[in-house]
Amino acid sequence: MKVHDKYDVFIGLEIHIHLNTESKMFCSCKANYGDESNMNVCPVCLGYPGTLPRLNEKAMELGYLVAKSLGCKIAEKTSFARKNYFYPDMPKNYQISQFEEPVGVEGLVEAEFGISESRKIRIHDVHLEEDAGKMIHAGDITLLDYNRAGYPLLEIVTEPDLRSGEETESFLRDFQRLVRYLGVSDANMDEGSMKCDANVSLNHPGKGLGIKVELKNMNSPRFVRLALNHEIARHAGILDAGGSLVQETRLWNENRDITEIMRRKEAADDYRYFPEPDMPSFVPDNDFLARVEAGLVELPLDKKRRLQTEYSLTPEQAEFIHDDAATAVFFEESVKAGADAQNAASWLSSDIQKLLNRSSLSLDASPLDARRFSTLLGLIKEGQISGKIAKKVLEKIFSDNLDPQDIVDKEGWLQISNPEELATIIKKVMMENPDVVSAVKAGDMRQKGFLIGQVMRNSDGKAAPELSGSILDKLLGTNA
Amino acid sequence: MPQIPTNWSGIFTDSERKQSYLRRVRELDKNIGSFLSFNLDLTGSETTEKGFLGGLPIAVKDNIAVSDQPLTCGSRILENLVSPYTATAVQRLEDAGAVVVGKTNLDEFGMGSSNENSALGTTVNPWDYNRVPGGSSGGSAAAVAAGLVPLALGSDTGGSVRQPANFCGVYGLKPTYGSVSRFGLTAYASSLEVIGTLTRDIDLMETAFEVMSGIDEYDQSSVGSEVSGVPDSDASRVVMLSVDNNMLDNPVARAYKETGEALRAEGYSVSEISLPTLDLVVPAYYTIATAEASANLARFNGIRYGYAPDFSENPSDLMKKARHEGFGREVKLRILLGTYVLRSGFQDQYYGRAQKIRTLIKNELASVFSTADLLLMPVFPTQAFSKGDSEMDDYKQRIADVFTCLANLSGLPALSLPVGVENGLPTGVQFMAPSFGEKRLFKVARNLQDRFPLQIPPNYLDIGGLV
Repeated sequence: MKVHDKYDVFIGLEIHIHLNTESKMFCSCKANYGDESNMNVCPVCLGYPGTLPRLNEKAMELGYLVAKSLGCKIAEKTSFARKNYFYPDMPKNYQISQFEEPVGVEGLVEAEFGISESRKIRIHDVHLEEDAGKMIHAGDITLLDYNRAGYPLLEIVTEPDLRSGEETESFLRDFQRLVRYLGVSDANMDEGSMKCDANVSLNHPGKGLGIKVELKNMNSPRFVRLALNHEIARHAGILDAGGSLVQETRLWNENRDITEIMRRKEAADDYRYFPEPDMPSFVPDNDFLARVEAGLVELPLDKKRRLQTEYSLTPEQAEFIHDDAATAVFFEESVKAGADAQNAASWLSSDIQKLLNRSSLSLDASPLDARRFSTLLGLIKEGQISGKIAKKVLEKIFSDNLDPQDIVDKEGWLQISNPEELATIIKKVMMENPDVVSAVKAGDMRQKGFLIGQVMRNSDGKAAPELSGSILDKLLGTNA
Repeated sequence: MPQIPTNWSGIFTDSERKQSYLRRVRELDKNIGSFLSFNLDLTGSETTEKGFLGGLPIAVKDNIAVSDQPLTCGSRILENLVSPYTATAVQRLEDAGAVVVGKTNLDEFGMGSSNENSALGTTVNPWDYNRVPGGSSGGSAAAVAAGLVPLALGSDTGGSVRQPANFCGVYGLKPTYGSVSRFGLTAYASSLEVIGTLTRDIDLMETAFEVMSGIDEYDQSSVGSEVSGVPDSDASRVVMLSVDNNMLDNPVARAYKETGEALRAEGYSVSEISLPTLDLVVPAYYTIATAEASANLARFNGIRYGYAPDFSENPSDLMKKARHEGFGREVKLRILLGTYVLRSGFQDQYYGRAQKIRTLIKNELASVFSTADLLLMPVFPTQAFSKGDSEMDDYKQRIADVFTCLANLSGLPALSLPVGVENGLPTGVQFMAPSFGEKRLFKVARNLQDRFPLQIPPNYLDIGGLV
């Protein structure tokens, strides 16, 4: 019997993303990752006595944008609170966060699991807060870097509506896509611009939530899946044996593929929240709301579905195209410029992707644009170049940053489709390969391919393949 | 715009006068101990007397940031801290020509009303060296009373400007919450406190207030002057808080009564009122103040600045030791109290209830000011008490904050002014006005100036000779 047949599984997430703002949440220091340690600090983010927070309205705007995109009720008035706890890398030993009036609550977001299943996941709330510094343990000393202290963070808390590691991984990838579409965050879990803690519990069907375990230290959506599935199996094992779980926090050990206990939770943490007296409530005005509205984008899932219906793409093609917002834009522009949707999709996912990987360029930054791409596909369609030549043209676009037509002209790569010219080449090939010609004439059709290959070689790949085939057949008397 | 007192101009342009000023302050302050640091040398010869406060020497309470000067807050834990920046209020005074000559003593982090809670020095009352100067801005009050500076900044969280001003016989202003930027004021109880001024000169007080106040982009709780719609003219209706006789010492009660009579004589209408919420003021105040303090003081952990133990096992151990060894008794007590009242499950009972009381008090005062222009109250039940007075134990001192805390809970402006000397010690009263009604306060103080001329401690009568 499978776990899911025996138990209900409940998974909820706490996702943190770093917001793409120029400055920190409450001061004007650069919000820049990876600068030299303690370069982006000031008395405010170092928590010097007498300093006060100043709201970064851009961060607020991005918070509203995400909340709105996740279908949350948007706060007409939002406020900050102090979350009190001591930690050496936290400058004030309290975190300015949101508690009673977050930017958004009660969201609902559709998620697709595999091809056939889709479900709505409830969002508990979306709230803004500031990040802490970073502790680096080096031998018997501890170093502190405060560049990250005060970095704007957005926390998204879901209800326990996910059921498996696979669902959760898929949900996280959807979420990453969403915030990248919105341009609010890079959301890279391995680089630390996104973090995800999960809580999981199992219970006998219909009994509601079980005793939950919190999981931390998962540095990619894949690790979230692995950790959750490991934990689900562990819980099931304990419950199968008639045991019961202990509420605790566990860490994913990615080297050993297991979870390990971090701490037991005897009682709930008491953060002694109270309203932040240094920050007045924020009431968005019409300009602010208009900016939020203007920042909204087509949701990734909607885009994926539209790509399938509007362009007849397969689910796999749509999945690939919509994964990156820039690719989707590129695709649609190319089609608008005349490219065939199917061809565009397959070129994008294969040869273009290969070249991008090789050159470590993003589609945006590459010399290929939608106009060049659609021209290239047009040249193939019109029979001016073969697919094989097209690949060479594509490489030239990347290396020389030229238009496809110019490359074809310059390199003399225009396809040979003049029957007489082709017949001359084919006759020459037949002369040079009498044995093969005899074999084909004797009925060994497999050898015909060799002759076509020789034609291609003798024409530098420019011979129009189909026309060459029919001329060859005529000359051999082997009309297909 | 009122002019600065002429006897203070020229200190910084005449090197002989500067030297003699320096010598005299050092000499006199040996007795009083008002300064924790005195930096006249630092202000250097480049100081000119530009700006309309042209070279006015001022003292700043040592919980307010002045760039490159100490910011000890009277605490062991910040004994070695040098501020990397300047408070907005100080910056505005400096921009107008004032020169910060030193930082004054205070009860640690502003927690106390006698200056006896300072970990770094003892300040006494210039009227009687056996008595306290009040607190927590006791150093500022003593320095002004002794004539060492014409103007000093203090901070008022629950009376910390007005009570020491009252003990030392000078004017003390607690401005409307939000009118003067808190940026640079080390936070004790953020929602209650504001930077205030102490001076012997009501005109200078008004000038300084006008310079310091106004919206500040670095303090989002600061409020612009456009909000101040309170007319200062015709403020003639005074209500006087009726106070049980046993609540006030005799000299204080007499001074209070005399003030009421003087107001009538000046043409004010004076009536008595009682405030039913008065009994709730001190408990609400201490609940909110300690709650906020428990968070505000959490940042002092010995890591980025301030006192750190010589050795610690790990960062957590470092924080524990720094706080254990760096904070004084009263500070620890208030942090513990504040932590207690914020505990989850107890917030409704303490912090939440205190906030409700605060709203109640605000509403009650709003209704008082719907029919009155000014509220007259005592400042403190006693005159300056003796150092180490067992009669004035910590608990009594806190209860005695009732008259001053009212202005902090409500955010309203209040001015304490001296109304005489009895038994060799100053007495005084305070006026409260509606939000942004500071002008009314200055006006009533001026109107009483002739009847209650400000007196100078006997040992410091030669103020003119000082500079």
